[in-house]
Amino acid sequence: MVKKIIFFIFIFYILTLIQTSFLVHFNISGITPNLVLMAVIFINIFNSSQWQKISSAVIGGFFLDIFSLANGLAGFFGFYTLILTGFSFFLKIILERYVRFPVVQKI
Amino acid sequence: MRIGLNKKNINIKKFIALSILLAIFVVVLNLTGFSKNIKNFFFLISSPIQKSFWQAGKNVSVFFAGILEVRILKKELDDLHLKNQELLSRVVATMELKRENEVLRKALGLGLEKEFQLMLARIISKDISQDSILINQGKKDGVLETLPVITGQKVLLGRIGQVYDNFSEVILISNKKSSFDAKISDSEIYGVVRGEGNFKIYLDLIPKDEAIFEQGDVIITSALGGVYPQALLVGEIKTISKSDTDPFQKAEITPFFDIKDLDYLFIITAW
Repeated sequence: MVKKIIFFIFIFYILTLIQTSFLVHFNISGITPNLVLMAVIFINIFNSSQWQKISSAVIGGFFLDIFSLANGLAGFFGFYTLILTGFSFFLKIILERYVRFPVVQKI
Repeated sequence: MRIGLNKKNINIKKFIALSILLAIFVVVLNLTGFSKNIKNFFFLISSPIQKSFWQAGKNVSVFFAGILEVRILKKELDDLHLKNQELLSRVVATMELKRENEVLRKALGLGLEKEFQLMLARIISKDISQDSILINQGKKDGVLETLPVITGQKVLLGRIGQVYDNFSEVILISNKKSSFDAKISDSEIYGVVRGEGNFKIYLDLIPKDEAIFEQGDVIITSALGGVYPQALLVGEIKTISKSDTDPFQKAEITPFFDIKDLDYLFIITAW
């Protein structure tokens, strides 16, 4: 688990750097792709471990908070952490209640 | 089943505990202002990587923007090419006008306009086989055959040969077809200037007893033949040849004009 968290820290750190330094040059109508959010969604959909899902959201949000230069509510440290964590739970509920992945089961 | 429910309860408790810890951590960071220190630390360690990413992003975006905007750029390039050509032609036209102006000023300085009615013309080309040139004034401009053509320095070039609508041929005095009466300046020695081709001119039919002229004497036109106005500069004597059997003397003349240095010339329309 610790290894996974270190891996997430590294991955989200790099993704945040790419998002804030590299992808800002590729904005379409002022919108920059949010790599961290995409990664959190990806992990939440394709990972079965609940701990990993939450930790990915917390770590991703934490790095977004660190590199965020926003003022006001979005400038509040922890804003993105809370948003992503809440989003992760919301996704969990949606996936559990309304989405079924077709899987082949052994008889 | 019971074990499963217990596990679920433990997980919920863990999650609530973690959420509370996280909330406390966040509140503390914001209240104490420690978040600024954390941000600063991350900015410090990340700045070299961010610089590289920034530069890379800039380069890549410029590259892609170039690909995406290649059509627009091509159109702009074409427009600029056209504009450039237009400006270039304007510059050339202005330079031409400047040169024309200079030539006219020189001609006016000599007082040519008081002696003759002049028409400015420009040399277009030279006939490679004979001593004739083409100028850019023709029938539409009022050019007639046999009109004299001179330079701005009052040097005789020749006369108008064939006249086209917009162009005219000038038969140079060195042309084999050309011959006219001339005299040696400051004397009463008359002769006939004949063209020999290849820019060679001879002063012919000078009586043998006229021994006063010498090398370097200036030849000017005389009004005798009626072909050219009098006192136009022709050239200077280069060599004199005499023969015992020949009743006349002959002198080779170096013409005062050099066709290579000429751009503009004047047609004398009336004198």
